[in-house]
Amino acid sequence: MEANRNDLVVANLVAVIERAAGDLSLAEEPARFAALLEDEAVVEDAG
Amino acid sequence: MSDWTIASLADAIRTRKTSSVEVVTECLERIRRVDGQVRAFITVDAEGALRAARGLDQELAGGRSRGPLHGVPLAYKDLCHIAGLPTSCGTKTAAYFFAERDATAVSRLRAAGAVTLGKLNMTELALGPFGDNAHHGHAENPWRAGHAAGGSSSGSGVAVAAGLALGALGTDTGGSIRLPAACCGIAGLKPTYGRVSRAGVMPLSWSNDHVGPMGRTVRDVALMLQAIAGRDPLDATSSHRVVPDYTARLEQGIAGLRVAVPENFFFQGVDPEIADGVLRAIGVLEALGARVAEIRVPDPETMSDVCNIVSRCESAAVHARLVRERPEEIQPVVRTRLELGFRIAAYDYLQALRLRARLARAFIRGVFAETDVLVAPVIPEPAPLLARAIDGAPEEVAERQGRFSRLTRPFNSLGLPALAVACGWSRDGLPLAFQIVGRPFDEATVLRAGHAYEQAAGWHHRRPELG
Repeated sequence: MEANRNDLVVANLVAVIERAAGDLSLAEEPARFAALLEDEAVVEDAG
Repeated sequence: MSDWTIASLADAIRTRKTSSVEVVTECLERIRRVDGQVRAFITVDAEGALRAARGLDQELAGGRSRGPLHGVPLAYKDLCHIAGLPTSCGTKTAAYFFAERDATAVSRLRAAGAVTLGKLNMTELALGPFGDNAHHGHAENPWRAGHAAGGSSSGSGVAVAAGLALGALGTDTGGSIRLPAACCGIAGLKPTYGRVSRAGVMPLSWSNDHVGPMGRTVRDVALMLQAIAGRDPLDATSSHRVVPDYTARLEQGIAGLRVAVPENFFFQGVDPEIADGVLRAIGVLEALGARVAEIRVPDPETMSDVCNIVSRCESAAVHARLVRERPEEIQPVVRTRLELGFRIAAYDYLQALRLRARLARAFIRGVFAETDVLVAPVIPEPAPLLARAIDGAPEEVAERQGRFSRLTRPFNSLGLPALAVACGWSRDGLPLAFQIVGRPFDEATVLRAGHAYEQAAGWHHRRPELG
């Protein structure tokens, strides 16, 4: 019972990711997230 | 004691109106009187705190001040490694987590003159937004007995609100700083991902974990952030970016600041008292000169699901040994959430991480091209009755947990700075709160907006009635 419910939770989560990730660019990779934060940071960063 | 802030206390210590020993003694006495009722602490280090306070008083007598945290008593969520004190991470095992060195954030606060009072209660393994803990006792909401303190940094929220410590460190993987800050009526900041080192802190999800300060006022949060922010060679994900002066511009006001209010997702299904409180807070920001506009934000729900998938996989990997070897020691709902991670394929985990980069790019460029800060509720309802929140089968409780943290979780995947600030009290006497979210590494603007609101609204003067 518990396993079935957990499988359902996982299936729902994974389905969302599958749908949203369907058209990801080949160049997209996890490390681009940290680079993005640096790139999009406020320019004026010295108090 | 219960009326000090870090800023006012540090000034009083510096000008010899009081001493660190005197204040630490008062904190320890208050902990002795009140903590049995609110269960904020797991470990109190009275001897160590008094020893440190004596040393700091001597330094000051010798003409050396370490700055605005000199002699100020703080406490830390019990997942920060501190040599000589056990780190339970809220588990049944007294010393569950060990690191080669003290948590960098704690070391930096100590170097800045802070005194360590002890280690604070938390949800087991930092998994859960209500502040319940079967092993160490449920942290108690200081405003109303029986209501959730918020989690997972429950003890941090309670200790600060109850005046047991002047400030605290928490961690935030899906809302775990902002939720207890909101439930306890204090300020709490989840900094930008990479702004504060995670070294020496128990990981739950490397990609989503953030260490941050909690205090009675936004200024106190800024003072703590000043000490802990910055590159740390022990944490490869910490940023090299220069740390600005977070208090320099606090008093500059917010005239002309562009404030966005999301028209989708963040107010849907939110309790009317919370929504009204946040809208009134937005009105205060507008009266202070901010330019407020509604905005449709890109897809927070998918970002929230990304956060979930990534957190479940990484937490299962981190805590696999405990789950597999001693599952009976883990609270059922915590175990249920950890076990989900074993069922997710590596392919889906990696797709979630790739998706995160794209969604974050769309969100940051879409929202912050036309605004400086985004404001939204933190909690969908005032702190619920704890017994009701944790009642039922583990899967039901896990679903309830997910709903309670749905407004904070997207910002963990986004990695953006998010500050929770009190914005009133409900008819039942429970805190209301909103969060101010900024561009990457723009904590200074987020803090300035929060401070301007706080000074205008004055909620930070309220104190809970405790023994």
